[in-house]
Amino acid sequence: MSAFIKDLIELPFLQNAFLAGILCSIASGIVGTYVVLRRITYIAAAISHCILGGLGAARYLSVVYDLPWLRPVYGAILTALAAALTIGIISLKAKEREDTVISALWAVGMATGVLFIFKTPGYNEDLMSYLFGNILMVSREDLYLIGILDIIVIALTLTFYNQTVAVCFDEEFARTRGMAVEFYYLLLLCLTAMTVVLTVSVVGIIMVIALLSLPVAIASRFFDRVWKIMAGSVFLGMFFTLTGLAVSYTPNLPSGAVTIVLAGGSYMLTLLFSALKKPTAKTAA
Amino acid sequence: MSQNAILKLTDVNFAYENTDLVLENINLEIENGEFACIVGPNGGGKTTLLKLMLGLLKPTSGSIEVLGGKPADRRAHIGYVPQFSKFDASFPVSVLDVVLMGCLQADLFWGRYPKGMIEKAHAALGTVGLPDLAMKGFAGLSGGQKQRALIARALMSDPKILLLDEPTASVDVHGTEQFYRLFSEMNEKFTIMMVSHDIGFVSTRVKSVICVRKTLQIHPVSELTGDSLRSMYGIDVHMIRHDHRCTEKGHVCPHS
Repeated sequence: MSAFIKDLIELPFLQNAFLAGILCSIASGIVGTYVVLRRITYIAAAISHCILGGLGAARYLSVVYDLPWLRPVYGAILTALAAALTIGIISLKAKEREDTVISALWAVGMATGVLFIFKTPGYNEDLMSYLFGNILMVSREDLYLIGILDIIVIALTLTFYNQTVAVCFDEEFARTRGMAVEFYYLLLLCLTAMTVVLTVSVVGIIMVIALLSLPVAIASRFFDRVWKIMAGSVFLGMFFTLTGLAVSYTPNLPSGAVTIVLAGGSYMLTLLFSALKKPTAKTAA
Repeated sequence: MSQNAILKLTDVNFAYENTDLVLENINLEIENGEFACIVGPNGGGKTTLLKLMLGLLKPTSGSIEVLGGKPADRRAHIGYVPQFSKFDASFPVSVLDVVLMGCLQADLFWGRYPKGMIEKAHAALGTVGLPDLAMKGFAGLSGGQKQRALIARALMSDPKILLLDEPTASVDVHGTEQFYRLFSEMNEKFTIMMVSHDIGFVSTRVKSVICVRKTLQIHPVSELTGDSLRSMYGIDVHMIRHDHRCTEKGHVCPHS
């Protein structure tokens, strides 16, 4: 641990990783709360897997046509937004086919990504870092992107807090009040898409959904207001990513996996704790 | 058309996409001050009828007029109380938060609710008999209390019509009587229409009963006998088409 702190002071890449953990947790804690309350974790999971297609395509084009400015994350952003809008519009128009579309995007996105990565000349070890994340490879530019996303998420949440909570609580009633329910839903999906893309650098495509939902699941056991759960999730997210980074650093373990195991283990402990506490809670009620 | 009609359905047909008609040839006028109960078998179209009146669904053909305009344009004056049981039982909001959702409109207020609205929400909670529960978590309320909080939420928009979907489902008999007393009080101020499945009890307080089973018939309460019920719930398989409409006010309320 002392080696970690010493390196953190000296090494810029470790500082970037540290900042990435903090900044990602802000967006993922707030957006994750909406995702869990609105019960669309499976949509977030589909978007996260789908972006492998965008990552792979952008990298392929960048290498084959020598376009150094075309970073994989741009491809991921485009794919994620397209997937979010596709799923959103289809679920608003034809509710019964929603799950089929989600599964299709999920799998086809991944398949496309694998094909592009396979055909890209040179080393293909990127696939592993896309799938499982590598927080140590986060660049300054990634940090700016995550920072901008945080500002957007915080500003929108402060502005539309009451409306978004009302829509998550009772969409039909919100509609009878003349509120633009569709707008809020698509906005939420787009924010989810952006959050997923930028969190992928920390924990990877496969584990993003855990970082979105587990802090919220834990926080909602302790708090009974939406904004408190958001704040709690942000802090839990920071705690898990930074602890994951620190613990994995010296033994050279994959930090994304350590982060998720920490979060999952804490969730289990919370469940166990509530199960033990339950009998007393019942007599009180 | 009567001058007092606050809600008017003319030749309304409705079908969900590519399916048979759920509602057929519905003609209905509701007068100001009415307390009507929509009853009928499951799948008979009760909730669909309610959603048409709210403008959540559009009729396949025919027209619906609420307060002299289209339902979607009159939403501000229509209070809607859905069933509490369809909500996420652990959603993290306070009772006050839920009630305040009733004053959200298409035109936004940014950030916090104005102070006047918060006072109004407390008053609405008083009206429905939950004055002390404002800061409690909605998730921790009993079924009946949740239903009352949702009624308070509907009161926030000063409705001229209150539409309730099965408000007494999963409330016990004693609680149900309290609910009807509340509805009777509120009915002095505005029109109430509710969907219900328990006809026997409803009859004692409501002014008229609207039976929906694809088609519609209106009964004065006194006429609601065993025969008409039997025909509504369909022991014989023939489609029942009662095209008559009772003209007299069917107001029978033995307790009042």
